[in-house]
Amino acid sequence: MIGATLSRWTLSYFASAVAFLLAAEALMVLGFGYPGSALRSPETLVLVHCVAIGWLSLLMCGALFQFVPVLVAKPIHSNTLPLPALLLILTGLGALIAGFLQLAGYLPPNASVFMAASVLLGAGFLLVLWNLGRTLAAAWPLNLPARFVTIGLASVAATVTFGVLFTLGFAGEAQGPFLLELRARGLPLHFIAGLGGWLTFTAIGVSHRLLAMFMLSPELEGASTRWTFYLGTLALAIVVIGGVVAIAVGGRLDVVLLGAGLVGLACLALYARDVVQLYRKRVRPVIELNSRMAGVALGQLAAAALLTSAAAALGVVDRFGGALVFLVAFGWLSGLGLAKLYKIIAFVTWLECYGPVLGKTPTPRVQDLVVEPRARRWFWLYFAAVDAATLCLALEATLIFRVAAAAMLLATAAIALEFIRTRRLSNVKAALRLPTGTRLPRLLFTFVAS
Amino acid sequence: MSATPEEALVEQIGEALHLVIDPELGYNIVDLGLIYDVAIDNGCDARITMTTTTRGCPATNYLQSGARDAASSVDGVDSVEVSLSYDPPWTPKMMSPAAKAHFGIDDD
Repeated sequence: MIGATLSRWTLSYFASAVAFLLAAEALMVLGFGYPGSALRSPETLVLVHCVAIGWLSLLMCGALFQFVPVLVAKPIHSNTLPLPALLLILTGLGALIAGFLQLAGYLPPNASVFMAASVLLGAGFLLVLWNLGRTLAAAWPLNLPARFVTIGLASVAATVTFGVLFTLGFAGEAQGPFLLELRARGLPLHFIAGLGGWLTFTAIGVSHRLLAMFMLSPELEGASTRWTFYLGTLALAIVVIGGVVAIAVGGRLDVVLLGAGLVGLACLALYARDVVQLYRKRVRPVIELNSRMAGVALGQLAAAALLTSAAAALGVVDRFGGALVFLVAFGWLSGLGLAKLYKIIAFVTWLECYGPVLGKTPTPRVQDLVVEPRARRWFWLYFAAVDAATLCLALEATLIFRVAAAAMLLATAAIALEFIRTRRLSNVKAALRLPTGTRLPRLLFTFVAS
Repeated sequence: MSATPEEALVEQIGEALHLVIDPELGYNIVDLGLIYDVAIDNGCDARITMTTTTRGCPATNYLQSGARDAASSVDGVDSVEVSLSYDPPWTPKMMSPAAKAHFGIDDD
């Protein structure tokens, strides 16, 4: 089979993910977690995991179930497993949040919730890894974008392993000397493997292909792209393997992280070069909103990399760390995620609704499912609000930060409404909307044979 | 010189295939250059060779069956076989002048 099919549960992942993003932004508006609380406070941990697992990881998993088959031109190993994986991750995340709320004193203590969170989240991500891993294995040898995804999946395995070990610690389990030391010093490894390896490195790999597809640019498989892959893989290996070894032997973790940071910076510089090539060499002169907004998100990544380098050079990373991570999570990853969701939801909805009647009756275009001028202003508001919020964090202007977070919430809610309109075909002209043989798509899943 | 019955059928199938659009580009697959060949066997059996803009495209199966359905709607066609080819891989240069003009692509 050359053509990949639709993923049945990808929309369920997307809906859950957007709900968590809205919830996280609402918490920030209410002043829950950082910057109102300390960076390592239980309240902040609630917020961080709503964003990292609830929003970004579910978004990435849903997108990969749809796009790994496109990358490798093979069907997904199982179109059924994503549902139990989603339920496990959602219940595991619920247990984890309940655990953090216990630590913060909002709920009565009960160590078993952390144990439940470990088991449920571990099992959920294991199913995701099994399904995507089997799909990739069937396509061996892998092309370059798929190799990026493979390293991204290895990174999520490392992230979840660290996370499970930390969570077991909260449950009073796994108390050996090495594990105690890992929990005391290993938070940067958990965090960098997740945000840098799983989310950023995977997004880099997938974006190479998606940007080329959507802008009709030549696919990049040259030396620069290969070195982006090698250097990124090396940086992540230094963080995960080098970091664990440094902790095990009592070595200096800051030296390991500095080395990884320099290699990672070189990787990002090459990626920036590739992205400029993709935009410059595109055949399509007028690009769609998703590609333009992806460009803005890429600019936020470049800004975050430059600012982090400057902060490291000046020795003020600790002071501005919260603001920098915020910019990566919301400017780069969330900005790219919202931009690509805007396209993917329209594309998947078109395939589900109009694909079966193609050739039998006139059909609308994917572009007819969206109204870009209406969505454009919300995307600009979103990015402007993120940058304002980042500045507020850097300046420790906590109250104004909440106003900026409210603007982010408003923009995200408006973009989410656009997703719903797309899914309900609200923007399609009546004459083409539901020709004979079609039916209105459901909001939360896709009608497709597995 | 008038066209042979096979040539006339090929032309009608080409017209019918204009109904099938590439969903991403929003343009018909004939002018996009996605139809590599249409041939007629036994006077009524159509063989279509086509491609997609990218290998592994999620729309591939729909495009294939859409081309089959569109060609089957032509009077005089008894059966349609649609095969995919990525040799050569599609490039935007394969678009018709009309499609290139639509997308603002230089026609060189």
